[in-house]
Amino acid sequence: MTGKEKLLSALKTKGIKYIFGYTGGAIMPVFDELENYKDLQFIMSRHEQGAAFMAQGISRGSLSTNNPQVGVCIATSGPGAMNLTTGVADAHMDSVPMLIVTGQVATGVIATDAFQESDIVGVMMPISKQTYMPLHADDVETTVHEAHYVATTGRGGPVLVDIPKDIQNQSVSKKYHFDVKGYRPVLPGYFYHPTPERGPLERAMKLINKSVRPLIFCGHGVVNSRAGNLLQQFAEKVNIPIAFTLHGISALPADHPLSLGMMGMHGTVEANKAVVEADLLISFGMRFDDRVTAKLDEYAANADVIHVEIDPSEIDKNVATSVAINADVYRTLRVLLDDPMLTYKPRRRWFKKIDEHRKAMREALQGEIDGGVGDNGKLLMKTIVHQLSLATKGKDLIVPDVGQHQMMAARFYNYQTENSWFTSGGAGTMGVSLPMAIGVKLSRPDERVWSISGDGGFQMNMQELGTIMEHQIDIKMLLLNNGYLGMVRQWQTLFFDGRYSGTPMLNPDYGFIAKAYDIPYLKVTKVKDIRPALQKAIDQKGPILIEFVCDPTEVILPMIPAGGGFNDMIVTRPQKEKSVSKRKKKGNKS
Amino acid sequence: MKRRAILAFMHDRPGVLNKVSMLIRKKMYNVDTLTVCSSRVKGISRMTITLREDDIAKVTQVIKQLEKFTEVISAKELDTNKSYWREAAIIKLEVDSEHLKAFKGRYNFEVLDKKSKDIQIIQLAGSTAQIDNFLDKVGREHIIEIARTGVTAMEK
Ligand SMILES: Cc1ncc(C[n+]2csc(CCOP(=O)(O)OP(=O)(O)O)c2C)c(N)n1
Ligand SMILES: [Mg+2]
Repeated sequence: MTGKEKLLSALKTKGIKYIFGYTGGAIMPVFDELENYKDLQFIMSRHEQGAAFMAQGISRGSLSTNNPQVGVCIATSGPGAMNLTTGVADAHMDSVPMLIVTGQVATGVIATDAFQESDIVGVMMPISKQTYMPLHADDVETTVHEAHYVATTGRGGPVLVDIPKDIQNQSVSKKYHFDVKGYRPVLPGYFYHPTPERGPLERAMKLINKSVRPLIFCGHGVVNSRAGNLLQQFAEKVNIPIAFTLHGISALPADHPLSLGMMGMHGTVEANKAVVEADLLISFGMRFDDRVTAKLDEYAANADVIHVEIDPSEIDKNVATSVAINADVYRTLRVLLDDPMLTYKPRRRWFKKIDEHRKAMREALQGEIDGGVGDNGKLLMKTIVHQLSLATKGKDLIVPDVGQHQMMAARFYNYQTENSWFTSGGAGTMGVSLPMAIGVKLSRPDERVWSISGDGGFQMNMQELGTIMEHQIDIKMLLLNNGYLGMVRQWQTLFFDGRYSGTPMLNPDYGFIAKAYDIPYLKVTKVKDIRPALQKAIDQKGPILIEFVCDPTEVILPMIPAGGGFNDMIVTRPQKEKSVSKRKKKGNKS
Repeated sequence: MKRRAILAFMHDRPGVLNKVSMLIRKKMYNVDTLTVCSSRVKGISRMTITLREDDIAKVTQVIKQLEKFTEVISAKELDTNKSYWREAAIIKLEVDSEHLKAFKGRYNFEVLDKKSKDIQIIQLAGSTAQIDNFLDKVGREHIIEIARTGVTAMEK
């Protein structure tokens, strides 16, 4: 047995079904060996970044299934490995378990600037959870097992295994033995602490019982520990409203009466006002990112904070806690739910206030959603997302890209299915949607997957249409084309006096592009055609691309300006946009 | 700014030092001193880092992020009053023997080598302040070369 066989058999043992990637000199032995492993399906991306996001899609999508899997991506040394980095950093920011396998130049020439050599362990170190370079075939199998363990336990993250070419081909020694069943990683410095301690729990319950205007925060940790249902029961038990982080979305049904929707920079008025007015924040599995807190010195000034979080380094990082519970969200909720100490309170006054905010919000938006077009007669993204929500009854899986359309998808889809929202949050990487949707679809083949992109992000990984074509991946692609890098344009509208520098772009004819990949294509320009087009995508099997011609002047509101506090929240559009500057003409065709 | 000493024990694996120093850089500190040695237990290294920070919350963050590394077993700040911070120095001096001798009583240095009548190599261990003090007293103009280990520390 050789290093490459040990690698692949270890992956197989770990339940891996798909390997995404791209070959090249330093990884060829592994690819050659892959031919002998028929139950490891290789899917070739068209760019290594695509492979990294496909792998993420597998991990993110499957975590709520009975058979959670870790996404695996593979690439050659140097440029191949370097092309993975964005997807790896993205996984690191979003706590997504992932295994990255890269070929490395042979040990004899490492550190000589050999052809296609890059110090990928050094490069990945700050953007991954752990990195390995096995230096003997005997070490390959243990390394893969340990890498898998580290990637999937505690707070998840990407782990790199960089294997020199000669080690891939090297035979294991005669005395080699690996006990798969008995294997326990030896990691004296690696701990995580899943069980909540009694002391902090009791203090937390006291605060909860005492509070008049409490608010629950639902973060990524709720989805990752599959605690959405428990959180819902907990909220009902104590009658406390819930605000969601971007990654907390889809932990429980979006239209639950206690749900206030998303909070933070593009959060709802009711969620953000509740944050300001609350006297207690009970946060589950989140890290108080700056898009959630806005200006820190004004944040939660009058509230106690209970923070339940598996990663101790997130506790007291941005927001000082009153009670810190370093534990798994699921286990904590399990204990809280069964504890008779917690009391139900009607909180009439608190809910009345929240309902007022909610009503104001709804009034501000309903007109736009119903109208469906901007002043220029072009479609509004919020209407498209709303229509999609109706057409799918909120049950489908949504993979947005990054930009205005992402925030629209976060806000206007009525998520009903647990773990049905997959987005690049921490890194906000444009281009994720197409490849990540491929991974999500493969992890959840019986569910419908919608990839929603802007014209900017779509073009960042558009090459993966090739992968979709080759494997007939059944994802429904919605391209919300506003002819601009819309989110940046929105900032320019609001904070840069409407100088649209570097945001307009000339778009290709997407119909031709779809045709080139033999993918059915529809173009929608009118409100009345939105629903039938979506229905067509639902009714037909296989991939489809629907382009919507969208209004570039639409803005996603509310918005807390970067650097501002919750009191600076912009709720209604300050004024109609002045006639769009001349420069626009140059770049914008549609 | 207040000088802090962080003591960490870590699994001796390649790349740990790299990770630690990258973290310190990322947090925008300039390392004052950093020493590593093996601990009582085989395979476990002991690292002492000194840096300058007034805000205790920030030091706590560094410690928590150090502990987050798979290899790091424990990390903590050492209270100045409840721990010994020591370093050693090797100093090559161009100095008159008689001048040097005058300090023998107060500073417990050892002469390693007498190159010539007025060139000597000595070694001295003590707190950073003690060594600084010694150098000031003897006169820094006498120093030809100096090597200091950086701080290593232990709780009382
Ligand atoms: C890789 C990358 N580059 C740049 C950005 C900065 N950025 C954030 S949103 C955005 C605009 C996205 O435009 P588009 O994909 O057309 O979506 P829209 O906002 O128009 O819906 C940009 C440039 C980013 N997030 N990611
Ligand atoms: Mg756009």
